[in-house]
Amino acid sequence: MDTLQKAIFRADPDLSRFDPLPRIFFFDRFNRGYNGWTTLVGNYEDNIDTMHPGYQQITAPMLSNLSHWDCGTHGAMSGTYALKLATQARAAAQSVAIKRITFQRACPIKLEFYFTFKPEASTLKLSKLDLRSVGLLFDLQDDTSRVMPHLRYLNAHSDRSAQRWQYKDKPVDFERFSDETVTHYHLADQDWVDLPGDAQELCYNEIPTKVNWHYAAVGFDLRTMRYTHFQCNDRIYDMSGVGSLTLDAMPNLRGMLNVVFFAEANADKRAFFYLDSVVLSGDWD
Amino acid sequence: MLQESHTAVIARGQHWRGEVATEPYEAAWAKEAIFFLRALKVEGSLQGTRANIQISADGIHWADEGSSLAVPTTAGEVTFCRISHFGGFLRLVVALPEGARIQVVASLNLKA
Repeated sequence: MDTLQKAIFRADPDLSRFDPLPRIFFFDRFNRGYNGWTTLVGNYEDNIDTMHPGYQQITAPMLSNLSHWDCGTHGAMSGTYALKLATQARAAAQSVAIKRITFQRACPIKLEFYFTFKPEASTLKLSKLDLRSVGLLFDLQDDTSRVMPHLRYLNAHSDRSAQRWQYKDKPVDFERFSDETVTHYHLADQDWVDLPGDAQELCYNEIPTKVNWHYAAVGFDLRTMRYTHFQCNDRIYDMSGVGSLTLDAMPNLRGMLNVVFFAEANADKRAFFYLDSVVLSGDWD
Repeated sequence: MLQESHTAVIARGQHWRGEVATEPYEAAWAKEAIFFLRALKVEGSLQGTRANIQISADGIHWADEGSSLAVPTTAGEVTFCRISHFGGFLRLVVALPEGARIQVVASLNLKA
């Protein structure tokens, strides 16, 4: 990015808290609406009951003003509303939101977002272990491969705190409906691997109705289909040895650039994943 | 700028029996809403059964809003209910008669 463009980006109070690549695919501030983020539905054919149970459970994302029973409206980081993913009130329940675009050219891309997470404040407890994870993935396809880089922040699992970022690179078997349609549930709570390095404590605060916003950035190169960067707040991870879930290219998906966020409960209590704003940028001329 | 509009599918092919509540949906940004209920399959008699709209300040504690919509009695039937001035959180609750089942698509159509 040249000096002039950087100065222009930094002069924009909304954009200055991000560090994007020169081209911006989208800059979504959820105070301005849903911006094309929608429910991830699984594939099905003829009958909706054929949808994989992992996808059947997924609820619709919503615009939340983070209102709580004790303090009222908490609000988002850059306005009143944030995008909220909410699981059902069941341990291991997941919810997923997606935005679907394509890329013009294979190039480096960068996803940046401000986020926070909490379990539903349905009990007067700290509830620190009640949310299992929040995470993201890209769903990409070039001429030869479908590549799905997955990352999650494992907050807790069962009765133990984890506070670690993890990745997944092991493909999942397909279930075939017909010659045209298949499904695979790649978000299951298995085959996650710790990223290199120590655990990372994120500010959880002291009761379930107090939230603090965090920053994360993921760099990925569509030419090599490898990570180039991952950062959460002040922590930068070595992604050189980190792989992605990779499959043979599939029909009808060439050029796909989907961005997905997901949340997972660790108790019979809803898990909430809030996104204040998201920037996806790229570097092409 | 155009005003926001959004359709959230709050029950997608769910099989309902007995007492049911949809997941809480936050819509403080919206001024008006329509709940749509469409039956994919029906077993038993649902004649006279109504789904009640509830509102909440926090998504945890609920009160009847006072409006309701008929639960469809045959596959393919669509019912709806318009509401406004509902605050933050919305959901549908219904108690189905003994022996009755319904598979539904429930949607919430929202406008600022």
